[in-house]
Amino acid sequence: MTATSMPPMNSSNDTEAARPLSFRERHASEIRQWRLYAHMFRKSFSSMLGLSLVVVFLLLAAFGPWIVPFPEAASGAINMSSKLLPPNGTYWFGTDEMGADIFSRVIIGARTSLWIGVVITGIAALIGVPLGILAGYRGGWVRAVIMRVTELFLAVPGLALALAIVAALGPGITNCVLALSIVWWPGYVRLVEAKTLSIKEELFIESARSIGARTPWILWHHILPNCLSPIIVKMSMDMGMAILSAASLGFIGLGAQPPSPEWGAMISVARTYMPDWWWYSLFPGAAIFLTVLGFNLLGDGLRDILDPRSRDR
Amino acid sequence: MSLLDIKDYRLDIDTFDGPVHVLKGINLSINRGDTLGIVGESGSGKTVLVRSVLGIGPRNARVIEGGISFDGQNITNLSEKEWAKIRGIRISMIFQDPMTYLNPLFSIGRQISDVIAAHEKAAGHGVSPKAARRTRTEELLDQVGLPNPAMLFSQYPHQLSGGMRQRVLIAMALAGKPDILIADEPTTALDVTVQAQVLDLINSLVEKLNLTVIMISHDIGAIATVARRCAVMYKGEIVEQGLTRDILSNPQHDYTKRLLSAVPDIDAAPERVAARPAASEPAKSRFLLEAVDLKKVYRSQSGEDFTAVNSLSLSVRTGEIFGVVGESGSGKSTLARMLLRLIDPTSGDVIFDGQNISGLSEKALRAMRRHMQFVFQNPHSALNGRHTIGDAIGEPLRLQTKMGRREIEARIEALLDIVQLPRLFKYRYPHELSGGQKQRVCIARAIALNPRLLVLDEPTSALDISVQAQVLEFLQQLRAEMNLTYVFISHNLAVIRQICDRTIVMKHGEIVEQGETEQIFLHPRENYTRTLIESGRKTSQAADL
Amino acid sequence: MLTFAFRKVLTLVGTMIGIAALTFVITNVAPGDPARLVAGPNATEDMVATIRTEYGLDKSLAEQFVVYMGDLAHGDLGTSIITTRPVLEEVLRYAPATLELVFVAMGLGIVIGVPLGMLSAVYKDGPLDQVTRIFSISGVALPAFWFGILLQLLFSVDLGWLPVSGRLPLVTRPPEALTGLLLVDSLLAGQFSTFWVSFQHIILPAIVLSFPCLASILRVNRAEMIEVLQSDYIVAARAHGISSFRIVALYALKNALLPTLAMIGLRFGWMLGSTVLVETVFDWPGIGLYAVSSALSSDFKPVVGVTLMIGFFFIVANTLVDLAYAWIDPRLRKA
Repeated sequence: MTATSMPPMNSSNDTEAARPLSFRERHASEIRQWRLYAHMFRKSFSSMLGLSLVVVFLLLAAFGPWIVPFPEAASGAINMSSKLLPPNGTYWFGTDEMGADIFSRVIIGARTSLWIGVVITGIAALIGVPLGILAGYRGGWVRAVIMRVTELFLAVPGLALALAIVAALGPGITNCVLALSIVWWPGYVRLVEAKTLSIKEELFIESARSIGARTPWILWHHILPNCLSPIIVKMSMDMGMAILSAASLGFIGLGAQPPSPEWGAMISVARTYMPDWWWYSLFPGAAIFLTVLGFNLLGDGLRDILDPRSRDR
Repeated sequence: MSLLDIKDYRLDIDTFDGPVHVLKGINLSINRGDTLGIVGESGSGKTVLVRSVLGIGPRNARVIEGGISFDGQNITNLSEKEWAKIRGIRISMIFQDPMTYLNPLFSIGRQISDVIAAHEKAAGHGVSPKAARRTRTEELLDQVGLPNPAMLFSQYPHQLSGGMRQRVLIAMALAGKPDILIADEPTTALDVTVQAQVLDLINSLVEKLNLTVIMISHDIGAIATVARRCAVMYKGEIVEQGLTRDILSNPQHDYTKRLLSAVPDIDAAPERVAARPAASEPAKSRFLLEAVDLKKVYRSQSGEDFTAVNSLSLSVRTGEIFGVVGESGSGKSTLARMLLRLIDPTSGDVIFDGQNISGLSEKALRAMRRHMQFVFQNPHSALNGRHTIGDAIGEPLRLQTKMGRREIEARIEALLDIVQLPRLFKYRYPHELSGGQKQRVCIARAIALNPRLLVLDEPTSALDISVQAQVLEFLQQLRAEMNLTYVFISHNLAVIRQICDRTIVMKHGEIVEQGETEQIFLHPRENYTRTLIESGRKTSQAADL
Repeated sequence: MLTFAFRKVLTLVGTMIGIAALTFVITNVAPGDPARLVAGPNATEDMVATIRTEYGLDKSLAEQFVVYMGDLAHGDLGTSIITTRPVLEEVLRYAPATLELVFVAMGLGIVIGVPLGMLSAVYKDGPLDQVTRIFSISGVALPAFWFGILLQLLFSVDLGWLPVSGRLPLVTRPPEALTGLLLVDSLLAGQFSTFWVSFQHIILPAIVLSFPCLASILRVNRAEMIEVLQSDYIVAARAHGISSFRIVALYALKNALLPTLAMIGLRFGWMLGSTVLVETVFDWPGIGLYAVSSALSSDFKPVVGVTLMIGFFFIVANTLVDLAYAWIDPRLRKA
């Protein structure tokens, strides 16, 4: 990709070698690489859209409670005088059956969603990546055991399995996040295992062994750095999908419980106020959609620049 | 008038960093019945050139100037529909790696008879019935010397050997009775003996079918075997063209001269780098490395045993270059890895400097590795793309010594000096380097700990010829300067003859013949060795002279 | 080929046993006391104890596991607390509705997704490709339940073209159940009006269910087509004069179909999981709705039953995909 484009590197003469190199000179390769990344990313409309959506989402999650017009709406304050109002100048997204401002609740919901996404993908990656590397590198019975268990989890559709787990644990946001984390890690095992298997065959692994490197050194210095790109891409995509799944469980009534400001749970209540009070379900749903879309587009854009072999995927 | 005329042909390819001038004003003409060879190293533009003749060049290519005419017709910018009347019918092509150029999901017969059907459709008369096409397909398979065409018809590409697949591709190319056959590195992916057979086949077809052939190759020997005329390409230009014989015996252009002198000659006695250390330190024994009764058996998934190396014994003297030559599948790479215990042998012993390393514990073996190093075939994948060159060269120091950060940095620079690369390279990444530079980095990494033995597994086979010559010369110098012992593995007999003191010839995991290298080349005792040398000669430059 | 198929079936049985064990672990390792969960929040200690004995929950985990697996081997999935009927019977009663929905949705996904993916690969970076790119990424991001509600608002409430929910109106007499699939049964019975009505009912839920699936089939097929079209054997086919149409529609598609098939298998399972959402939105009387309502009333056996059933369908689908793989790819046949 960049081999042809490096400026010709003339052999260093003695005067140059004597002078300590500046940071810029020492890291010319990295700087160029990041420039190229930035250039490719900026060129793609969908990547930039994804990035913007994610940034807005993160800002809302960080500052939401301080910028919303009715902060008390989050805690389920009741104001019957203003219940079920359509969108207007005061209540931009209308109000719900308790008279709470939907705009405020949607924005405060961003923080819940961020928390959900980070915890689920974080736990999944923390469990899945080491297991995947281990399975891929060690092979033999270690791999057999890890992969059998992984395949077992993957053999039941995630949402169905999560539903069963939440049903066993009892409804609630914590249990919902726990259940989704339990069904999420096998995806990382499979991704990382496949990647490790192919990296393991590369000559540079054998080369590292031939100079006397131990297994932990090889895993840390050679395998992990080469697995990182697909992991980052998957984590970005999974942030969105985890938020969506948690909202789905909330919608069914097994996730976050009303009146907590979680988007799925809001729609779950709003459904009973269909079709006359349409705004009630429209806005939380749009929030989910845009957030998940943002993370997906971002992941897609990251894949384009980090994993050029699958650029067209 | 000539059959194919290329005039002032200029072609750019658009990339991220702007357009690259791939072809810079090519002038070439081929008459009916001619055999033309185009020689060039990677990046010379030869493949893009011949693909343009068939209108299958890269997507983002742009013709800037000039054009190509075929049989009086300008074919520079034809529509797909007009191409259909030419491709495969009047001009057809065979390719480098016959595995990837056959569709894995369709049977051989299906693929060839589809080509026949396409030609019939393009010619305007209706498609003939299946049975007729089958007969024709079997005829074609027979014509290219494939046994049992009827059985072959329903087989799939993965069931065939490399040589057979190349023959299938040739049969496919002949299906339309073309005027011109373009051969794009037709032998590069094949073993030496198979190469010779395929070249023979092309020659016999030229005679029988009165074909016009354009063959491109980086291998001058192959060109000399087939082509009467020859053009030398360098960086998008034809620097020299004429009769192959004249060019080989009396090259005019500097590049051609350099290229020709870089080709190792199988029939030339080597001029050794004389500087053999007169009195090297007294080694514990005369032999630095001995293998006793080495054996490696692989078990495939279906439970069948495959013996890669069978009861093989050898001894390498301190200070010599020990050659191992063999075709693919002869077990030479497995042997190389067992010598350093990168693969554990099924049975047998490896004795390094009087110590049996077969029984060493993991820890002792790791410590031992500083004395014996490996240089891999493909420098492109032997370096971790996420590490800088400095990291790569410094890794053995970090693993095996207690040197401080500053010492390591200094040593890295010293090593870069030794392998004649700029010190600045330690901040660069592998993908920014050329193949030859990368191989030098690999060598620097291998000698970082001052080892006594280097096992080199086809260290130059992934490199261009001129680069190969440089690396080989450098390796010889290095050995003299650092008192090294080499085990040198190669499929290229000419290279082996040039640099090895003693050599073993391997086939099917066993030693066919061994002895002084010169002795083996001048007076081979075994038939297999003779065939190898004969085939090697065919693809070596001296062929037609 | 036969031994290949046999091995696959063996794997299928093994995986089923594994899933059964997995569901057991999930239900029993969960920190909550299942007996208390069943008894409800207001139950006394005595009631909980009674339930514990009644369900065999007082035995050791190992014993419970043996009993559980033994029951499963006999096809006994336990009894629902709410309806007091055998879970297996109920699951089998609801399953056809779910399968019908999934089949129609999958059909939509394949019939639209594969050709669209193919076209956007051939006209890469063209206007169609841009549209399908946005379409396919947003398709995966769309919350099914919300999308369903929006479609209901538009087509059922606003325009009044299609029914809001359900599988058949109460007044319509369902045809004799041969396959359990209403669309098929009504045709077999010659009741074309019933067919039409049930068709109208299935449109919206099938669209909602198929949307993400269609999107990912499209993406995978496009990506694979692009890669295949750049491959050496396609270059060779062009050089030999095979027509572009034939190259795309026959040679390249067959090669690109392999990964697409894998995605179809994967998405089949995903769809089965999503039925819990779509069936909830559209009141579709399938196993998804059954699982949700049981879960909401802490009726645990049906949830496990449905999970097992969904797992079973998923594995069967994947086995079929594996067989199709071997059928298409000669390299796998020998293995």
